[in-house]
Amino acid sequence: MWFVRFLVSSIGKKFIMAASGLLLFLFLCTHVAGNATIFMSSKVFQSYADELHSHPLIVLVFSLGLLGVFLAHIFVGLYLFYQNRAVSNSRYAVCTRVVKYSFASETMPYTGLFLLVFLVVHVFGFTFSPKTVLISVTVQQLLSNFFYALFYILGFVALTIHLSHGFWSMLQTFGFNHPRYNFLISRLTIVIPLFFFLVFAGIAFYFMTGLGASY
Amino acid sequence: MTSINLTLKIWRQPNNDALGGFETYLLDGIHTDMSFLEMLDVLNEKLTKEGKDPVAFDHDCREGICGMCGAVVDGVAHGPEKEVTLCQLHMRHFHSGDTLVIEPFRSRAYPIKKDLLVDRSALDRIIQAGGYVSVNTGGTPDGNSIPIPSQQAELAMDAAACIGCGACVASCPNGAAMLFTSAKISQLALLPQGQVERKNRALAMVEQMDKEGFGNCTNAKECEAVCPKGISIRNIARMNKEFFKAILTEG
Ligand code: HEM
Ligand code: SF4
Ligand code: FES
Repeated sequence: MWFVRFLVSSIGKKFIMAASGLLLFLFLCTHVAGNATIFMSSKVFQSYADELHSHPLIVLVFSLGLLGVFLAHIFVGLYLFYQNRAVSNSRYAVCTRVVKYSFASETMPYTGLFLLVFLVVHVFGFTFSPKTVLISVTVQQLLSNFFYALFYILGFVALTIHLSHGFWSMLQTFGFNHPRYNFLISRLTIVIPLFFFLVFAGIAFYFMTGLGASY
Repeated sequence: MTSINLTLKIWRQPNNDALGGFETYLLDGIHTDMSFLEMLDVLNEKLTKEGKDPVAFDHDCREGICGMCGAVVDGVAHGPEKEVTLCQLHMRHFHSGDTLVIEPFRSRAYPIKKDLLVDRSALDRIIQAGGYVSVNTGGTPDGNSIPIPSQQAELAMDAAACIGCGACVASCPNGAAMLFTSAKISQLALLPQGQVERKNRALAMVEQMDKEGFGNCTNAKECEAVCPKGISIRNIARMNKEFFKAILTEG
Protein backbone atom coordinates (compact mmCIF):
# COMPACT_ATOMS: atom_id res chain seq x y z
CA MET A 1 0.00 0.00 0.00
CA TRP A 2 1.35 3.38 -0.94
CA PHE A 3 0.52 4.92 2.39
CA VAL A 4 2.42 2.29 4.35
CA ARG A 5 5.37 2.63 1.99
CA PHE A 6 5.26 6.35 2.57
CA LEU A 7 5.20 5.99 6.34
CA VAL A 8 8.08 3.53 6.54
CA SER A 9 10.28 5.64 4.24
CA SER A 10 12.76 8.10 5.68
CA ILE A 11 11.17 11.04 3.87
CA GLY A 12 7.68 9.96 4.95
CA LYS A 13 8.70 10.18 8.61
CA LYS A 14 10.15 13.63 8.00
CA PHE A 15 6.81 14.60 6.53
CA ILE A 16 4.99 13.39 9.62
CA MET A 17 7.32 15.50 11.78
CA ALA A 18 6.78 18.52 9.58
CA ALA A 19 3.02 18.07 9.14
CA SER A 20 2.40 17.50 12.86
CA GLY A 21 4.78 20.41 13.57
CA LEU A 22 2.69 22.62 11.26
CA LEU A 23 -0.54 21.66 13.04
CA LEU A 24 1.06 22.32 16.43
CA PHE A 25 2.26 25.66 15.13
CA LEU A 26 -1.27 26.53 13.99
CA PHE A 27 -2.60 25.46 17.38
CA LEU A 28 -0.07 27.78 19.04
CA CYS A 29 -1.34 30.65 16.87
CA THR A 30 -4.90 30.20 18.15
CA HIS A 31 -3.76 29.57 21.72
CA VAL A 32 -1.60 32.68 21.81
CA ALA A 33 -4.45 34.81 20.47
CA GLY A 34 -6.88 33.49 23.10
CA ASN A 35 -4.46 33.86 25.98
CA ALA A 36 -3.48 37.38 24.98
CA THR A 37 -6.92 38.45 26.23
CA ILE A 38 -5.43 38.10 29.73
CA PHE A 39 -3.66 41.40 29.10
CA MET A 40 -7.04 43.08 28.57
CA SER A 41 -8.72 42.00 31.81
CA SER A 42 -9.80 38.93 33.75
CA LYS A 43 -13.34 39.56 32.51
CA VAL A 44 -12.43 39.45 28.85
CA PHE A 45 -10.34 36.35 29.46
CA GLN A 46 -13.10 34.65 31.43
CA SER A 47 -15.67 35.40 28.75
CA TYR A 48 -13.29 34.01 26.10
CA ALA A 49 -12.92 30.81 28.15
CA ASP A 50 -16.68 30.60 28.76
CA GLU A 51 -17.43 31.12 25.09
CA LEU A 52 -14.96 28.39 24.15
CA HIS A 53 -16.44 25.91 26.64
CA SER A 54 -20.02 26.67 25.68
CA HIS A 55 -19.30 24.43 22.67
CA PRO A 56 -18.23 21.24 24.44
CA LEU A 57 -18.33 19.13 21.27
CA ILE A 58 -15.97 21.44 19.39
CA VAL A 59 -13.62 21.47 22.36
CA LEU A 60 -13.72 17.68 22.62
CA VAL A 61 -13.05 17.08 18.92
CA PHE A 62 -10.23 19.61 18.81
CA SER A 63 -8.67 18.32 22.02
CA LEU A 64 -8.66 14.75 20.77
CA GLY A 65 -7.26 15.86 17.42
CA LEU A 66 -4.55 17.83 19.17
CA LEU A 67 -3.71 14.85 21.34
CA GLY A 68 -3.31 12.72 18.21
CA VAL A 69 -1.06 15.31 16.60
CA PHE A 70 1.09 15.52 19.73
CA LEU A 71 1.38 11.75 19.96
CA ALA A 72 2.40 11.49 16.30
CA HIS A 73 4.97 14.27 16.69
CA ILE A 74 6.43 12.87 19.89
CA PHE A 75 6.53 9.20 18.90
CA VAL A 76 7.94 9.72 15.41
CA GLY A 77 10.40 12.28 16.82
CA LEU A 78 11.64 9.90 19.50
CA TYR A 79 11.73 6.99 17.06
CA LEU A 80 13.93 9.02 14.70
CA PHE A 81 16.10 10.13 17.60
CA TYR A 82 16.84 6.57 18.70
CA GLN A 83 17.25 5.38 15.12
CA ASN A 84 19.74 8.13 14.34
CA ARG A 85 21.61 7.58 17.56
CA ALA A 86 22.15 3.95 16.63
CA VAL A 87 23.68 5.05 13.32
CA SER A 88 25.88 7.78 14.57
CA ASN A 89 26.78 7.44 18.22
CA SER A 90 30.38 8.62 18.78
CA ARG A 91 31.63 7.82 15.33
CA TYR A 92 34.70 10.02 15.43
CA ALA A 93 37.49 10.65 17.91
CA VAL A 94 37.39 14.31 16.90
CA CYS A 95 34.07 15.71 15.71
CA THR A 96 33.85 19.32 14.58
CA ARG A 97 30.57 20.94 13.63
CA VAL A 98 31.11 23.23 10.65
CA VAL A 99 27.67 24.84 10.75
CA LYS A 100 27.40 27.84 13.06
CA TYR A 101 24.29 28.25 15.24
CA SER A 102 23.59 24.51 15.33
CA PHE A 103 22.51 24.57 18.99
CA ALA A 104 18.77 24.45 18.25
CA SER A 105 19.04 21.65 15.69
CA GLU A 106 21.28 19.55 17.94
CA THR A 107 18.94 19.88 20.91
CA MET A 108 15.57 19.24 19.19
CA PRO A 109 14.83 16.01 21.09
CA TYR A 110 15.81 17.59 24.42
CA THR A 111 13.88 20.84 24.02
CA GLY A 112 11.01 18.65 22.76
CA LEU A 113 11.11 16.40 25.83
CA PHE A 114 11.19 19.39 28.14
CA LEU A 115 8.09 20.67 26.33
CA LEU A 116 6.45 17.32 27.03
CA VAL A 117 7.08 17.72 30.76
CA PHE A 118 5.75 21.25 30.51
CA LEU A 119 2.64 20.02 28.71
CA VAL A 120 1.83 17.45 31.37
CA VAL A 121 2.14 20.07 34.11
CA HIS A 122 0.18 22.56 32.03
CA VAL A 123 -2.70 20.25 31.24
CA PHE A 124 -3.01 19.00 34.82
CA GLY A 125 -2.76 22.54 36.16
CA PHE A 126 -5.33 24.19 33.91
CA THR A 127 -7.34 21.75 31.81
CA PHE A 128 -8.09 19.39 34.71
CA SER A 129 -8.32 22.10 37.35
CA PRO A 130 -11.36 22.02 39.69
CA LYS A 131 -14.41 23.28 37.82
CA THR A 132 -15.67 25.14 40.90
CA VAL A 133 -13.02 27.84 40.52
CA LEU A 134 -13.14 30.28 37.61
CA ILE A 135 -10.31 29.62 35.16
CA SER A 136 -9.27 33.28 35.26
CA VAL A 137 -8.73 32.85 39.01
CA THR A 138 -6.84 29.55 38.67
CA VAL A 139 -4.45 31.11 36.17
CA GLN A 140 -3.68 33.95 38.50
CA GLN A 141 -3.32 31.72 41.56
CA LEU A 142 -0.94 29.23 39.94
CA LEU A 143 1.22 31.76 38.13
CA SER A 144 1.58 34.04 41.13
CA ASN A 145 3.78 31.31 42.56
CA PHE A 146 7.34 32.35 41.68
CA PHE A 147 8.64 28.85 40.89
CA TYR A 148 5.54 27.83 38.98
CA ALA A 149 5.88 30.90 36.78
CA LEU A 150 9.62 30.36 36.41
CA PHE A 151 8.96 26.82 35.21
CA TYR A 152 6.53 28.24 32.67
CA ILE A 153 9.08 30.74 31.43
CA LEU A 154 11.66 27.96 31.05
CA GLY A 155 9.10 25.97 29.10
CA PHE A 156 8.68 28.89 26.70
CA VAL A 157 12.46 29.24 26.37
CA ALA A 158 12.51 25.60 25.26
CA LEU A 159 9.64 26.27 22.85
CA THR A 160 11.46 29.25 21.36
CA ILE A 161 14.63 27.22 20.81
CA HIS A 162 12.65 24.26 19.42
CA LEU A 163 10.82 26.46 16.92
CA SER A 164 13.93 28.42 15.95
CA HIS A 165 15.03 25.26 14.16
CA GLY A 166 11.61 23.66 13.73
CA PHE A 167 9.92 26.39 11.72
CA TRP A 168 12.61 26.54 9.05
CA SER A 169 13.06 22.76 9.14
CA MET A 170 9.35 22.20 8.55
CA LEU A 171 9.38 24.37 5.43
CA GLN A 172 12.56 22.69 4.14
CA THR A 173 10.94 19.28 4.61
CA PHE A 174 7.86 20.42 2.70
CA GLY A 175 10.18 21.47 -0.10
CA PHE A 176 10.06 25.25 0.34
CA ASN A 177 13.61 26.32 -0.38
CA HIS A 178 13.98 29.03 -2.96
CA PRO A 179 16.61 31.80 -3.06
CA ARG A 180 13.86 34.39 -3.45
CA TYR A 181 12.16 33.44 -0.17
CA ASN A 182 15.00 32.03 1.92
CA PHE A 183 15.84 35.37 3.51
CA LEU A 184 12.22 35.90 4.52
CA ILE A 185 12.00 32.37 5.92
CA SER A 186 15.19 32.82 7.92
CA ARG A 187 13.78 36.01 9.48
CA LEU A 188 10.39 34.44 10.23
CA THR A 189 12.19 31.56 11.93
CA ILE A 190 13.49 34.09 14.46
CA VAL A 191 10.52 36.47 14.65
CA ILE A 192 7.73 33.91 15.08
CA PRO A 193 9.28 32.01 18.03
CA LEU A 194 10.18 35.33 19.66
CA PHE A 195 6.61 36.53 19.26
CA PHE A 196 5.30 33.38 20.97
CA PHE A 197 7.86 33.87 23.69
CA LEU A 198 6.91 37.48 24.33
CA VAL A 199 3.21 36.75 24.71
CA PHE A 200 3.34 33.40 26.54
CA ALA A 201 6.26 34.20 28.84
CA GLY A 202 4.82 37.70 29.21
CA ILE A 203 1.71 36.21 30.83
CA ALA A 204 3.78 34.22 33.32
CA PHE A 205 5.89 37.30 34.02
CA TYR A 206 2.76 39.44 34.44
CA PHE A 207 1.51 37.35 37.37
CA MET A 208 4.91 36.35 38.74
CA THR A 209 5.88 39.97 39.32
CA GLY A 210 2.49 40.96 40.69
CA LEU A 211 1.82 43.32 37.78
CA GLY A 212 -1.36 41.40 37.09
CA ALA A 213 -2.43 41.24 40.76
CA SER A 214 -5.69 43.04 40.08
CA TYR A 215 -6.11 42.22 36.39
CA MET B 1 59.76 27.13 -0.19
CA THR B 2 58.42 26.77 3.33
CA SER B 3 58.18 23.48 5.06
CA ILE B 4 56.35 22.42 8.21
CA ASN B 5 56.61 19.66 10.79
CA LEU B 6 53.50 17.70 11.71
CA THR B 7 52.27 15.11 14.16
CA LEU B 8 49.75 12.77 12.55
CA LYS B 9 47.31 10.56 14.41
CA ILE B 10 45.97 8.16 11.83
CA TRP B 11 43.30 5.48 12.18
CA ARG B 12 44.89 2.11 11.39
CA GLN B 13 42.75 -0.98 10.92
CA PRO B 14 44.01 -4.04 9.02
CA ASN B 15 40.55 -5.08 7.79
CA ASN B 16 36.86 -4.74 8.52
CA ASP B 17 36.80 -7.45 11.17
CA ALA B 18 39.90 -6.31 13.03
CA LEU B 19 39.89 -3.80 15.86
CA GLY B 20 41.35 -0.49 14.80
CA GLY B 21 43.21 2.21 16.68
CA PHE B 22 45.18 5.40 16.28
CA GLU B 23 48.90 5.39 15.45
CA THR B 24 51.00 8.50 15.90
CA TYR B 25 53.59 9.51 13.31
CA LEU B 26 56.00 12.44 13.28
CA LEU B 27 56.57 13.91 9.85
CA ASP B 28 59.18 16.64 9.27
CA GLY B 29 59.93 18.89 6.33
CA ILE B 30 56.54 18.79 4.57
CA HIS B 31 56.52 21.38 1.79
CA THR B 32 53.54 23.69 2.06
CA ASP B 33 52.95 23.40 -1.70
CA MET B 34 52.14 19.71 -1.30
CA SER B 35 48.60 18.46 -1.32
CA PHE B 36 47.26 16.50 1.63
CA LEU B 37 47.55 13.25 -0.30
CA GLU B 38 51.16 14.04 -1.29
CA MET B 39 51.87 14.53 2.38
CA LEU B 40 50.44 11.03 2.99
CA ASP B 41 52.60 9.75 0.11
CA VAL B 42 55.68 11.09 1.92
CA LEU B 43 54.56 9.33 5.09
CA ASN B 44 53.99 6.09 3.20
CA GLU B 45 57.42 6.26 1.57
CA LYS B 46 58.93 6.67 5.00
CA LEU B 47 56.90 3.77 6.42
CA THR B 48 57.82 1.53 3.48
CA LYS B 49 61.51 2.29 3.95
CA GLU B 50 61.17 1.39 7.61
CA GLY B 51 59.61 -1.91 6.57
CA LYS B 52 56.18 -0.95 7.95
CA ASP B 53 52.76 -1.20 6.38
CA PRO B 54 51.88 2.02 4.49
CA VAL B 55 48.59 3.78 5.25
CA ALA B 56 45.88 2.69 2.80
CA PHE B 57 43.80 5.55 1.37
CA ASP B 58 41.63 6.03 -1.71
CA HIS B 59 42.57 8.39 -4.53
CA ASP B 60 42.50 8.59 -8.28
CA CYS B 61 42.40 11.84 -10.24
CA ARG B 62 43.99 14.04 -7.57
CA GLU B 63 42.39 17.05 -9.21
CA GLY B 64 39.10 17.14 -7.36
CA ILE B 65 36.82 15.58 -9.96
CA CYS B 66 36.65 11.83 -9.43
CA GLY B 67 35.29 11.58 -5.90
CA MET B 68 37.63 8.80 -4.77
CA CYS B 69 39.61 10.60 -2.08
CA GLY B 70 38.38 11.65 1.33
CA ALA B 71 39.07 11.36 5.02
CA VAL B 72 37.99 13.19 8.13
CA VAL B 73 40.71 15.63 9.23
CA ASP B 74 40.35 17.06 12.72
CA GLY B 75 36.65 16.21 12.70
CA VAL B 76 35.83 17.73 9.30
CA ALA B 77 35.27 15.64 6.16
CA HIS B 78 37.81 16.66 3.46
CA GLY B 79 39.58 18.87 6.01
CA PRO B 80 39.22 22.45 7.13
CA GLU B 81 39.08 24.28 3.81
CA LYS B 82 35.69 24.97 2.21
CA GLU B 83 34.64 23.38 -1.08
CA VAL B 84 37.75 21.31 -1.74
CA THR B 85 38.37 17.60 -1.85
CA LEU B 86 41.17 16.13 0.24
CA CYS B 87 43.41 15.87 -2.85
CA GLN B 88 43.00 19.60 -3.49
CA LEU B 89 43.62 20.60 0.10
CA HIS B 90 47.12 22.04 0.38
CA MET B 91 49.50 21.89 3.27
CA ARG B 92 49.81 25.68 3.37
CA HIS B 93 46.57 25.65 5.35
CA PHE B 94 48.39 23.99 8.25
CA HIS B 95 51.06 25.24 10.61
CA SER B 96 54.28 23.73 11.83
CA GLY B 97 53.71 21.86 15.07
CA ASP B 98 50.05 21.03 14.28
CA THR B 99 48.68 17.67 15.34
CA LEU B 100 46.24 16.31 12.75
CA VAL B 101 43.77 13.55 13.57
CA ILE B 102 42.93 11.62 10.40
CA GLU B 103 40.00 9.20 10.41
CA PRO B 104 38.12 7.34 7.68
CA PHE B 105 34.67 8.49 6.49
CA ARG B 106 32.36 6.67 8.85
CA SER B 107 28.83 5.43 8.31
CA ARG B 108 26.93 2.27 9.10
CA ALA B 109 26.66 1.85 5.33
CA TYR B 110 30.43 2.26 4.73
CA PRO B 111 32.34 -0.85 5.87
CA ILE B 112 36.04 -0.09 6.46
CA LYS B 113 38.26 -2.05 4.12
CA LYS B 114 41.61 -0.95 5.52
CA ASP B 115 42.86 2.12 7.38
CA LEU B 116 41.29 5.13 5.62
CA LEU B 117 39.84 3.05 2.81
CA VAL B 118 36.08 2.57 3.02
CA ASP B 119 33.59 0.73 0.85
CA ARG B 120 31.16 3.32 -0.53
CA SER B 121 29.39 0.98 -2.95
CA ALA B 122 26.12 1.72 -1.10
CA LEU B 123 26.14 5.00 -3.06
CA ASP B 124 26.63 3.08 -6.31
CA ARG B 125 23.62 0.91 -5.53
CA ILE B 126 21.50 4.05 -5.04
CA ILE B 127 22.52 5.13 -8.56
CA GLN B 128 21.82 1.66 -9.92
CA ALA B 129 18.32 1.81 -8.49
CA GLY B 130 17.33 4.67 -10.78
CA GLY B 131 19.97 7.34 -11.27
CA TYR B 132 20.01 7.00 -15.04
CA VAL B 133 17.94 7.62 -18.13
CA SER B 134 17.11 4.66 -20.34
CA VAL B 135 17.87 5.43 -23.97
CA ASN B 136 17.53 3.19 -26.97
CA THR B 137 20.83 3.59 -28.75
CA GLY B 138 20.84 5.05 -32.21
CA GLY B 139 22.45 7.90 -34.03
CA THR B 140 23.84 10.78 -31.99
CA PRO B 141 21.04 13.36 -31.64
CA ASP B 142 21.69 16.82 -33.01
CA GLY B 143 22.82 19.43 -30.54
CA ASN B 144 20.01 21.64 -29.17
CA SER B 145 17.31 19.39 -30.61
CA ILE B 146 15.73 19.41 -27.14
CA PRO B 147 15.28 23.00 -25.95
CA ILE B 148 16.15 23.45 -22.27
CA PRO B 149 15.65 26.78 -20.47
CA SER B 150 19.02 28.00 -19.30
CA GLN B 151 17.93 28.31 -15.68
CA GLN B 152 16.88 24.65 -15.62
CA ALA B 153 20.13 23.68 -17.27
CA GLU B 154 22.13 25.62 -14.69
CA LEU B 155 20.28 24.07 -11.75
CA ALA B 156 20.73 20.61 -13.23
CA MET B 157 24.44 21.29 -13.72
CA ASP B 158 24.75 22.50 -10.13
CA ALA B 159 23.29 19.20 -8.95
CA ALA B 160 25.36 17.21 -11.42
CA ALA B 161 28.54 18.67 -9.93
CA CYS B 162 28.26 16.02 -7.19
CA ILE B 163 31.26 13.70 -7.53
CA GLY B 164 29.84 11.02 -5.23
CA CYS B 165 32.63 11.29 -2.67
CA GLY B 166 30.27 10.53 0.21
CA ALA B 167 31.55 13.28 2.51
CA CYS B 168 27.97 14.39 3.10
CA VAL B 169 27.22 11.06 4.77
CA ALA B 170 30.45 11.15 6.77
CA SER B 171 29.73 14.62 8.13
CA CYS B 172 26.02 14.21 8.80
CA PRO B 173 25.33 13.83 12.53
CA ASN B 174 22.76 11.20 11.55
CA GLY B 175 24.78 9.54 8.80
CA ALA B 176 22.10 10.39 6.22
CA ALA B 177 22.76 10.18 2.49
CA MET B 178 20.12 12.71 1.49
CA LEU B 179 22.44 15.29 -0.09
CA PHE B 180 24.01 12.76 -2.44
CA THR B 181 20.70 11.10 -3.34
CA SER B 182 18.92 14.42 -3.80
CA ALA B 183 21.65 15.72 -6.13
CA LYS B 184 21.39 12.57 -8.24
CA ILE B 185 17.59 12.76 -8.36
CA SER B 186 17.59 16.49 -9.09
CA GLN B 187 20.07 16.46 -11.95
CA LEU B 188 17.67 14.31 -13.97
CA ALA B 189 14.34 15.57 -12.64
CA LEU B 190 15.24 19.06 -13.87
CA LEU B 191 15.93 18.01 -17.46
CA PRO B 192 13.48 16.98 -20.19
CA GLN B 193 15.43 13.75 -20.71
CA GLY B 194 14.70 12.73 -17.14
CA GLN B 195 10.91 13.09 -17.28
CA VAL B 196 9.94 9.61 -18.48
CA GLU B 197 11.34 7.81 -15.45
CA ARG B 198 11.00 10.74 -13.07
CA LYS B 199 8.55 9.28 -10.56
CA ASN B 200 9.90 5.75 -10.50
CA ARG B 201 13.40 7.13 -10.13
CA ALA B 202 12.50 9.13 -7.03
CA LEU B 203 10.73 6.15 -5.47
CA ALA B 204 13.41 3.60 -6.29
CA MET B 205 16.40 5.70 -5.25
CA VAL B 206 14.87 6.73 -1.93
CA GLU B 207 13.87 3.15 -1.22
CA GLN B 208 17.41 1.93 -1.94
CA MET B 209 18.85 4.70 0.21
CA ASP B 210 16.68 3.56 3.13
CA LYS B 211 17.63 -0.08 2.56
CA GLU B 212 21.35 0.65 2.77
CA GLY B 213 21.06 1.69 6.40
CA PHE B 214 21.79 5.39 6.17
CA GLY B 215 20.37 7.61 8.92
CA ASN B 216 17.50 10.04 8.73
CA CYS B 217 17.92 13.71 7.84
CA THR B 218 17.11 16.25 10.54
CA ASN B 219 18.11 19.29 8.48
CA ALA B 220 21.36 19.90 10.36
CA LYS B 221 22.99 21.35 7.21
CA GLU B 222 26.43 19.83 7.93
CA CYS B 223 26.43 18.07 4.54
CA GLU B 224 26.24 21.21 2.46
CA ALA B 225 28.91 22.85 4.66
CA VAL B 226 31.50 20.17 3.90
CA CYS B 227 30.50 19.24 0.35
CA PRO B 228 33.53 19.84 -1.89
CA LYS B 229 31.22 20.78 -4.75
CA GLY B 230 28.95 23.13 -2.81
CA ILE B 231 25.82 21.05 -3.44
CA SER B 232 22.94 22.92 -1.79
CA ILE B 233 20.29 21.41 0.49
CA ARG B 234 17.82 23.00 -1.88
CA ASN B 235 18.26 19.69 -3.67
CA ILE B 236 16.99 17.86 -0.57
CA ALA B 237 13.91 20.09 -0.55
CA ARG B 238 13.42 19.20 -4.21
CA MET B 239 13.87 15.49 -3.53
CA ASN B 240 11.25 15.62 -0.78
CA LYS B 241 8.79 17.15 -3.24
CA GLU B 242 9.71 14.66 -5.96
CA PHE B 243 9.23 11.74 -3.59
CA PHE B 244 5.96 13.10 -2.23
CA LYS B 245 4.49 13.69 -5.68
CA ALA B 246 5.66 10.30 -6.88
CA ILE B 247 4.28 8.31 -3.97
CA LEU B 248 0.91 10.06 -4.19
CA THR B 249 0.47 9.17 -7.83
CA GLU B 250 2.56 6.06 -8.54
CA GLY B 251 2.88 2.52 -7.24
C1 HEM C 1 4.50 22.43 21.25
C2 HEM C 1 4.57 22.63 20.02
C3 HEM C 1 5.58 22.00 19.11
C4 HEM C 1 5.85 22.43 17.84
C5 HEM C 1 5.17 23.59 17.17
C6 HEM C 1 6.89 21.59 17.28
C7 HEM C 1 7.41 21.73 16.01
C8 HEM C 1 8.41 20.95 15.48
C9 HEM C 1 8.91 21.03 14.13
C10 HEM C 1 8.38 21.96 13.05
C11 HEM C 1 9.90 20.11 13.99
C12 HEM C 1 10.77 19.87 12.75
C13 HEM C 1 10.23 18.84 11.80
C14 HEM C 1 11.23 18.57 10.69
O1 HEM C 1 12.42 18.33 11.00
O2 HEM C 1 10.84 18.63 9.53
C15 HEM C 1 10.02 19.44 15.24
C16 HEM C 1 10.89 18.43 15.49
C17 HEM C 1 10.88 17.70 16.64
N1 HEM C 1 10.07 17.90 17.74
FE1 HEM C 1 8.67 19.29 17.97
N2 HEM C 1 7.23 20.67 18.20
C18 HEM C 1 6.45 20.87 19.33
C19 HEM C 1 6.45 20.13 20.48
C20 HEM C 1 7.22 19.05 20.67
C21 HEM C 1 7.11 18.22 21.83
C22 HEM C 1 6.15 18.38 23.00
C23 HEM C 1 8.04 17.27 21.67
C24 HEM C 1 8.23 16.19 22.70
C25 HEM C 1 8.87 15.12 22.57
C26 HEM C 1 8.75 17.51 20.40
C27 HEM C 1 9.80 16.77 19.90
C28 HEM C 1 10.39 16.94 18.67
C29 HEM C 1 11.43 16.11 18.15
C30 HEM C 1 12.08 14.93 18.85
C31 HEM C 1 11.73 16.58 16.86
C32 HEM C 1 12.68 15.95 15.88
C33 HEM C 1 13.96 16.64 15.81
C34 HEM C 1 14.84 15.92 14.86
O3 HEM C 1 14.30 15.27 13.93
O4 HEM C 1 16.04 16.03 15.07
N3 HEM C 1 8.20 18.60 19.82
N4 HEM C 1 9.10 19.96 16.14
S1 SF4 D 1 26.76 15.84 -2.39
FE1 SF4 D 1 28.85 16.71 -2.13
S2 SF4 D 1 29.67 15.63 -0.33
FE2 SF4 D 1 27.91 14.43 -1.03
S3 SF4 D 1 28.74 12.89 -2.42
FE3 SF4 D 1 28.16 14.65 -3.71
S4 SF4 D 1 30.04 15.88 -3.86
FE4 SF4 D 1 30.38 14.47 -2.13
S1 FES E 1 41.40 11.97 -5.94
FE1 FES E 1 39.80 12.46 -7.38
S2 FES E 1 38.63 13.88 -6.24
FE2 FES E 1 40.34 13.58 -4.92
